[in-house]
Amino acid sequence: MKSKWLSQTLFVAVVMGLLLPKVGLAIPAFSRQYGTSCTTCHLDFPKLNDFGKAFKDAGFKFPKDDESFLKTPPILLGAPAQAELFPHTVYPGTIPGLPPIGLRYNQFYQQVSSNRNNFNQVLPAGTIGTFIPKSDFQPGLFSIFTAGNFGTGISFWVDDDISVAGANANGALGDAYLKFHDVSRFLKMPTDSVNLRFGQFELDLPFSQARSWNLSGWDILGEANIGVQNGIGRPESVNNGTGLDAAADGIEISGGHSYQGYHYSLAVMNQNTSGAAAAPPNVGPQNGVAFSSDSNFKDLYGRFVYRFNLEKNPESRDGVQAAGAMGPRDHTFFALGTFGFYGRSVQTVSGVLADGQTPTVLTAREPFYRIGGDVNFNYRTFNLFGVYVAAHDHNLVPVSTVESGAITGFKPESAVTFSGGFAEADYLALPWAMSIVRWDQVKSTADRVNFLMYDPTAPPASSFFSPYRATRNRYTLGEQFLIHANIKASVEYQIPPQQIVYDPATGIAISKPFRTNVLVTGLEFVY
Amino acid sequence: MKHINFVALIAIAACSTAAFAGTIHGKVSGVSGVSVVYVEAIAGKTFPAPTQHLVIDQKGLMFTPHIVAIEQGTTVEFLNSDSVAHNVFWISISGNKKLGHNLGTWPQGQKQSFKFDNPGYVPLLCNVHPEMAAYIIVSPTPYFAETDKSGVFKIDNVPDGAYTVTAWHEGAKPKSNPVKIAGDTAADFTLSK
Repeated sequence: MKSKWLSQTLFVAVVMGLLLPKVGLAIPAFSRQYGTSCTTCHLDFPKLNDFGKAFKDAGFKFPKDDESFLKTPPILLGAPAQAELFPHTVYPGTIPGLPPIGLRYNQFYQQVSSNRNNFNQVLPAGTIGTFIPKSDFQPGLFSIFTAGNFGTGISFWVDDDISVAGANANGALGDAYLKFHDVSRFLKMPTDSVNLRFGQFELDLPFSQARSWNLSGWDILGEANIGVQNGIGRPESVNNGTGLDAAADGIEISGGHSYQGYHYSLAVMNQNTSGAAAAPPNVGPQNGVAFSSDSNFKDLYGRFVYRFNLEKNPESRDGVQAAGAMGPRDHTFFALGTFGFYGRSVQTVSGVLADGQTPTVLTAREPFYRIGGDVNFNYRTFNLFGVYVAAHDHNLVPVSTVESGAITGFKPESAVTFSGGFAEADYLALPWAMSIVRWDQVKSTADRVNFLMYDPTAPPASSFFSPYRATRNRYTLGEQFLIHANIKASVEYQIPPQQIVYDPATGIAISKPFRTNVLVTGLEFVY
Repeated sequence: MKHINFVALIAIAACSTAAFAGTIHGKVSGVSGVSVVYVEAIAGKTFPAPTQHLVIDQKGLMFTPHIVAIEQGTTVEFLNSDSVAHNVFWISISGNKKLGHNLGTWPQGQKQSFKFDNPGYVPLLCNVHPEMAAYIIVSPTPYFAETDKSGVFKIDNVPDGAYTVTAWHEGAKPKSNPVKIAGDTAADFTLSK
């Protein structure tokens, strides 16, 4: 009974995971500090305009003469002249004159099409299935976030979900980092060519999933690579839960600017492909620090992008914003980027030595990579962009050479791969109204095989259970309205990938392919 | 002799003008802060455009001054003292959208000039910093004044006569009253938002 309750809960969680909107952030604390509107930095929060990108690049400061814009002066943690005494004094810094704290809440309403309960038809007669309502009001996130700078080129960011889906304090820390800007000045290198970031952060993705303005995240950025041996299809044994959008704990070196020219980043971070953190009994909890890696290997991530601002006038082209005839505006630009992620997933299994008797622990180290490219084109208020990702996991399948069938080793099989991406067009028809058209695609044979015979009593941890094809296409139409600069109403109509219901016992299809379309509306405010 | 007579005539005329010039004083109430009071256009009378330019600065994401009264025909120079791009535009003058104008973009330290030939109130905005606002009140006559913060004003050297006097305040409905000037004349206004 408990198991059934658990499975139903998991099922609902899976479905809600598919439906529930992703989140984005804007920082109203900066509005207070500088006495300016959200739209100074955001087009349709949290989507940044060119000035917002420059503000972020500079360490949450105005790119030039920051102090002249602050309506509340920072508090000095030591007079600037103290710097001359260094190292015989603590180097002087500042803290923001106002606590730079912002809060955010969102609320959703969703309407799910009639196919929503199709999987219940495979349940034995008399079994109570999972019920997905036709319509539903959903509390979203109540989040707190703080960001700013401590002077001398050190910025910070922390965001945390205090409450998720009305369930009180079960949220999670988002990004939490310190960033040292323009370290290059100490190395006599070009300005802003070297920055260092420490802490937990979203990887320097072409388009931030954590701060996406869409109600639903981009599928490819959250795609994991799980391949199970279920007797269907080729043998696969990969357990790589890493999505590109997962928070990384580590160090990042970066440089350049996001509003013009080059930008790069290189990150070294914990690997945790299994999702299980190491327990610390060998070290003891006395230091109060747990572990979040599941292997000794540190993952690597790198990105390079070059943005060409296309204004003819050099002064306008090189400025933070372009000089339009009717006032400053975002540049017309074209950006090309590439990125890559490398890790080495570790799986350990209990097995025996070749004698067939002696127990041992067998370890499979499966190198994996994600590689991709991105394009971004902007003309005035029309923005067209896309990402392509190819993923490849080395696939070591457990084998047995002994009569008992116990695992004695691994043999390489064909790599487990997936690929896909998205393309999106945003059009800011009015300063307060943005239309969105989007196409997401993920091609994962593993996903299809894993969930080919989806059993609703044992739901898999996938948002796209029992896909009809290995290629999953999702089409999304969206419209977003700023009621005020800090209040947004959004609507998204999602046409998800096709699914199909198989009889879990026979594997025979018992439904026609179908889609479970979803209409999600959201209201959110920051203050 | 003829020359002496002409000078005498001018002197008499000047003295007579001075003798018939009055003062309008009063208070704008119902609102708080600076208001502007001005004499509306006088039929059959024109005034030369002032040669002195006025400067409105954009600094620290604010227009300075926030409210300024000028005489019709005055040229205003809009200076950008900020290191960020600004612009200046107004969608109308006294609600007349045909008189809206956008001055474009210019960098730090540079100015854009505009001669205000149409009387009325001009709400200045910046299209990248929507919180920025300022007002120019273009008076059709040289007889205008800004009140102090308590609403008190005084307009000197107004020739005696019957005029329409208008009081303007940010966010309030402007009010025009007929005022007959004869020497030192009081004119109070009560505005409401």
